[in-house]
Amino acid sequence: MTRYVTQRVISLIPVLIGVTLLVFLVMQLAPGDPAQIMLGPKATESSLAQLRHELGLDQPIYVQYGRWLTRVVQGDWGRSIQLKREVLPFILERFRNSAYLMVLAVLLACSAGIPAGIISAIRQYSLDDRVAMILVLVGFSIPIFWLGIMLQIIFGLKLGILPVSGMQSPGQTGMLDLLKHLILPAVALATGATAIIARMTRSSMLEVVRQDYIRTARAKGLTERTTTGRHALKNALIPVITIVGLQVGYLLGGDILIEIVFSYPGIGLAMVNGILARDFPLVQGAILLVASSYVLINLAVDITYAYIDPRIHYEQ
Amino acid sequence: MFKRGTSLVGVLVLIALILVACSPAATPAPASDSSGSEATTEAEAAPASGSGEGGTIIVGLQAEPTTLDSQQISDYNSHRAAYGLYDALLRFKDESTAVEPGLAESWEISDDGLVYTLKLRQGVKFHDGTDFNAEAAKFNLERQIDVNHPFHDTGEFPYAEFTWGTVDKVEVVDDYTLKITLKEPFAPFLNHLAMHPAAIVSPAAIEKYGRDISNNPVGTGPFKFVSWTPGVEVVLEKNPDYWRGAPHVDKVIYRPIIEDQSRLTELEAGGVNFIVNIPPDDLARLKDDPNLNVVEQPGMHTWWVAFNQAKAPFDNTQVRQAINYAVNKQAIVDNLLQGTGTLAVNPLPPVVWSYTDDIQRYDYSPEKAKELLAEAGYPDGFSCSFWVPESGSGMQQPVAMGTAIQADLKAVGIDCEIQTFEWGTYLDKVIVPPEDAEYDMFEMSWIGDNGDPDNHLYILLSGEQWPPQGYNMGFYKNDEVDALLQEARTTLDQAKRTELYQEAQKLIAQDPPWIIVDHETQIVAMDKSIKNFKLHPTGPFRFENVWIEE
Repeated sequence: MTRYVTQRVISLIPVLIGVTLLVFLVMQLAPGDPAQIMLGPKATESSLAQLRHELGLDQPIYVQYGRWLTRVVQGDWGRSIQLKREVLPFILERFRNSAYLMVLAVLLACSAGIPAGIISAIRQYSLDDRVAMILVLVGFSIPIFWLGIMLQIIFGLKLGILPVSGMQSPGQTGMLDLLKHLILPAVALATGATAIIARMTRSSMLEVVRQDYIRTARAKGLTERTTTGRHALKNALIPVITIVGLQVGYLLGGDILIEIVFSYPGIGLAMVNGILARDFPLVQGAILLVASSYVLINLAVDITYAYIDPRIHYEQ
Repeated sequence: MFKRGTSLVGVLVLIALILVACSPAATPAPASDSSGSEATTEAEAAPASGSGEGGTIIVGLQAEPTTLDSQQISDYNSHRAAYGLYDALLRFKDESTAVEPGLAESWEISDDGLVYTLKLRQGVKFHDGTDFNAEAAKFNLERQIDVNHPFHDTGEFPYAEFTWGTVDKVEVVDDYTLKITLKEPFAPFLNHLAMHPAAIVSPAAIEKYGRDISNNPVGTGPFKFVSWTPGVEVVLEKNPDYWRGAPHVDKVIYRPIIEDQSRLTELEAGGVNFIVNIPPDDLARLKDDPNLNVVEQPGMHTWWVAFNQAKAPFDNTQVRQAINYAVNKQAIVDNLLQGTGTLAVNPLPPVVWSYTDDIQRYDYSPEKAKELLAEAGYPDGFSCSFWVPESGSGMQQPVAMGTAIQADLKAVGIDCEIQTFEWGTYLDKVIVPPEDAEYDMFEMSWIGDNGDPDNHLYILLSGEQWPPQGYNMGFYKNDEVDALLQEARTTLDQAKRTELYQEAQKLIAQDPPWIIVDHETQIVAMDKSIKNFKLHPTGPFRFENVWIEE
């Protein structure tokens, strides 16, 4: 097991280098000059040239990339061109903020999606099943930014029970205040994932409950609860875990839209602002961080299989 | 796992109930000490005695500020968040771009227009307790201008070249007298002393924080810096020792709320009590809301479509006149901008002195357009490319406005194909010398900085200002106009300058450089309890004389 994990972690390095190289090239090849954007249309040619020099933008791309990568390895992630502050502490804080949102969204999606899927499966074609599957269809089809705006208007404005945007009320730092700010964006973010998880759980359960060993369990006289809860569910959850792992990737995409709608100070918003300002150090750093976390989450998912599925062994 | 009979529908109802039962979020309604006093009229200059002190103004900005060091600012959001922290050497008067004393009490300009001698105010202290004096002022200017200054590397100064480009040297005469010598006479320079690069930062703080002065700002202004949590808020509190007198409100908080719709919802829900950039579709509704106050002011903004005049057919004056007649600018202002802009007939905004509308106008007339096109040798029109940014500072609704213009031109036989670009890419491709210009027509806008006509007419239309020298994007060239603009910028007498600029405006109208469409109106909406707020044409918000009354 240890060996497997070590191998997987080492194999991450080329993946991450590939990611940084790609990001670096894409950013450099995109038209638009950070110095021009920063100084605005009113900059003079000489001040532009000086700024490009100060930022190292007058060097060849491979020199810029080499320098950047060397510094990243040494822990110096550079200074944001636009925000004029150190990249690493800034994106770590932003990443933490996004993590709050994502974790809550994943929890919501699992705690709503898995039970809904189970109920739908064990009561196939019942009213519950039909209502759940219609909701799944709706949840999956709703544009996430529209849902966000609707939640703001309903819960923030009309009912006035939850904050409309941001992460904390002015002057507040408490957990409760944070949680209140997280609810609407997390619900909006979780909706699509909930739908997918519910569907996946349902079809997976339906497949498992038709297996012979479930019939055997019933024949042995086990209660329905033990049969579904212990025997069927554990096996049905394996594909669901894969889906949850993959959902994290999709959530990162939705997270960007949600952070814009809710002005939530997460990594997605930082990246969008960074891209618009051609803030190379910030965008590269943020993407490296996000890509690393995504790869690590997938690794964690793979490891979780071993605990859930007795047929999977990682020892050679 | 689940008890038999638990219904999913029941669970959903339960979830809904829990959500509804959540305790109401504490809305940060501005606290005020006022004890239910009578409503005061807007014209009053001070709150009724015993009321209106204290409270918090929470401003919903369009985006995150990028720096709070006034000298490094190049965008509106930073300018607005940082404005209250500083005083500049001179100050723009309320609602005007005429200057009045700031940190400099008085000034003298030598007859040759080269030497500016400023008498500085005594007894002013920075928020860190250090003294403001001529050395501090010199430090601030040289930090931006002189690449060898020991603290030049504490920031990037995007406006330094624009503001101080004509400065030859800065000298301290005595503790409270500063002498600035220019390389050549430059009439608009006095206004530069009131711009944000002329805001004075504490030298001691720059020495202490280095590059981090950007997020640890120290000035002399009516508000002191408290904290900046990126993406969340910038908090300022009142400076009780402010030399003009302490402000009325206790705190001003700036929150970035990127989405127009979310910002509006926040205002209506009470999460903020002051917002910028109202979506045009919502303006009428906000004006009718009895709890809100909408304040408008024409800004120093112009929106236009430029042509590549370095080549046919746009090098032909008649073609440019025809295009101006062909576009229904009034319809764009009425139907798309819906009161967020006013019809423009002149490249100069009406708030800038010397503005005249006694010039040739191009009211919508497709017939005249067709006649002129025929005279110019294009009876069947022509086809061309038309570049449009997806969005951009000051660009209003670039795509919708571009589409309307495209349709109007099509009606007179000019078939233009719209190409859209992301803003950063766009700037890169339109600010280019003639040999690199790939466009036929493109949209652009300009927001004036110093309130001087030179800042619009010379920079945008002088034949000497083709990129990369300046911003005459489109390569307008009219020798008579050039001579007038050159003379006006080196003449010190304002009456004489006004005459020259008015003459130039008339000539420009006869030989139109652009399709001039509109001047954007600055619009903010705020809670009714905020009193005595006035917009300034240069964009930042002045809260030092504002009070809150419940």
